[in-house]
Amino acid sequence: MADERDPKVSQRYRELGAPEPPRQVDEAILAASRRAAEMHPAPLVPPTGRRRWYFPVAAAAIIMLSVAVTWHMQVERPDPEGYGASAPAPAPAPAPAPAQKPFTPDPPRESRQQAARDAPARAAPQAAPPQVAASRAEERMRESAPVAGARAPEDARRSEAARADRALGKISEQAVEPPEKWLERIAALRKEGKHEEADKALAEFRKRYPDYKIPESALRLPK
Amino acid sequence: MEGADEELMLAYRDGNDSAFEALYGRHRTRLFRFVLRSVKERGMAEELFQDVWMRVIEARSRYAPKARFTTWLYSIAHNRLVDHWRRKGLSVVSLDDDVPVASGDNPERQVEARQGLQRFARALEALPPAQREAFLLHEEAGMSVPEIAQATGAGEEAAKSRLRYAIAKLKAAVADG
Repeated sequence: MADERDPKVSQRYRELGAPEPPRQVDEAILAASRRAAEMHPAPLVPPTGRRRWYFPVAAAAIIMLSVAVTWHMQVERPDPEGYGASAPAPAPAPAPAPAQKPFTPDPPRESRQQAARDAPARAAPQAAPPQVAASRAEERMRESAPVAGARAPEDARRSEAARADRALGKISEQAVEPPEKWLERIAALRKEGKHEEADKALAEFRKRYPDYKIPESALRLPK
Repeated sequence: MEGADEELMLAYRDGNDSAFEALYGRHRTRLFRFVLRSVKERGMAEELFQDVWMRVIEARSRYAPKARFTTWLYSIAHNRLVDHWRRKGLSVVSLDDDVPVASGDNPERQVEARQGLQRFARALEALPPAQREAFLLHEEAGMSVPEIAQATGAGEEAAKSRLRYAIAKLKAAVADG
């Protein structure tokens, strides 16, 4: 208030001097102010104005993304009984069953209904879907089981050998005999006068042991 | 850095440390004298002065220009001094040893001037604390009566009365010299 001020009092007060704070106090205060300005913490209050929608939108986006990824993982989850769970090395395909049909997708519902109307007789196989499902499941288990997949080549080889032995018949049974016994048996056939049978056995013997020296007793010597 | 005190304080609140340096340069001397003449010891005055500015720094995020920056600054200083007075008692710094005397005058004139300043200093020291504070706020911070009332939390009539009594006593001390 200008009316309260007395010029003489103010002048005398100024004559008391103008002491100043020491330099170290100045430096300490300014250093503290700079440190505080560098920290400049983010406001603890939520953003206002145009930025108010940032947090809700970000939260909604995260939730939607999480739900979508979870749903997609459930849909795309590999079937433990399916092909995706089979052994990494592809097992050799077993001999196809004669009655097995190649996989074809199920026809649409309208097509199935039309087929049922047109061919009632064919409705019988369709009337037993559990059996078909069980058959497919059993087939999948055979194909997908890692142990079974590793065992498949051994089984195939054994079955192939069994079929070959059955085709060879008796002669093939002789093949498993030692060559000496096999030749003795051929010689015995010739003594009995069964030369045709002895010739067939000898032919097989030559196939099996092409470099084996055959004794004369097993040979039908020209007369 | 140019700008009103309030703009500087807002700039500092937003992270501009050079704004604080400008603000500090404007008010450091006056605030220091205000504190120094409100307490007895210079060391204590320096400690209180630094503490006031630290409180300004800490309170920067809450600053809102509802009043002049000067009023806000001296309100902080007032509160700090009140805490000090409650603990230490009331006093102003003794001016007996450091009263400046203008050079060039003859010795008698110098002694007379020194005695006049000592009387004024003693009169200032003898003022009731509220009156002394009102006078210092009026002289150092250039505050009006309403601003003194706002800074000290007193009513305007009380602030006006304190300032008037303080000036009257100091005027008598000047007249005696």
